Amino acid sequence: MADAPAATPAEPQYVDPDVSRRKFDREIADYRALERDYQQRGWFLVEANYPTVVVLLAAPHVSPSPVVTGVLFDYTNYDAQPPSVRLVNPFTREPYQANQLPTTLNRGIPHSMPGAPDGMQMLVQQPLMQWYAPTDIPFLCLAGVREYHNHPGHSGDSWELHRPTGAGALVRLLEVIHTYGVAPLAGWKVNFNPQVMFGWTEPPT
Amino acid sequence: MADKIILVVVVNGAPTVVEANLNAPLRSIIGKALEQTSNTGQPEENWELRDGAGQILDLSVKIGSFGFPADTRLFLNLKAGVGG
Repeated sequence: MADAPAATPAEPQYVDPDVSRRKFDREIADYRALERDYQQRGWFLVEANYPTVVVLLAAPHVSPSPVVTGVLFDYTNYDAQPPSVRLVNPFTREPYQANQLPTTLNRGIPHSMPGAPDGMQMLVQQPLMQWYAPTDIPFLCLAGVREYHNHPGHSGDSWELHRPTGAGALVRLLEVIHTYGVAPLAGWKVNFNPQVMFGWTEPPT
Repeated sequence: MADKIILVVVVNGAPTVVEANLNAPLRSIIGKALEQTSNTGQPEENWELRDGAGQILDLSVKIGSFGFPADTRLFLNLKAGVGG
């Protein structure tokens, strides 16, 4: 199979490659040490060649179990930079456009309702995947992700604030994507679209 | 030692061994696990603890109530936080 496409436009490696590679190798070693646990949750690491990691996320709690999405990580310059994270087609490994996403990683944010009795809240859905146009490659709007910290709207939330907490760790990012993109899957939904139209006899001769 | 248990807490993917008191609430292991893995940048409430099946665990419940076998692996990860 061809190498995975770059998660974002290629970025030059300016950190000592040995340092980034050692940190990358530690991420992979930690993952491999508990790989069986992760497989039971539906996570399958299918490629780990510095700086790229590809993990497929399946939904074992749904029958038959689908592969919900692929996730492409790019750990170039880690951890001076956070990893790039893209949801990708698990077969072609091409990043999904916004209008192709199998999941937008919706989370429920409690909001107070004006005029409602104390304590009454409604859940507003907020997608963690963000984009502007339907054909954009969406980004994961999450601290610890390169695209989030490179976004001008997040200049006040620097990577340096999150770097010591392991926010860019492979398992942590997979946990978030699993929590909002895979775990909420309840099953298969089938839509039928009946159409009503005239039924004709054979045409008269 | 009867009221103690050894748990493996996997912090953002990195395992660390924590000795826990069965009579203490589950949240008591979080500080130790974070300290042992040098994860000191975020307060404890910004982390969530799950079992091997991915279920979020109630941190206020006594550790003994879960019936964990020794060396049970629990997974501690940073919450998503509020994006925007």
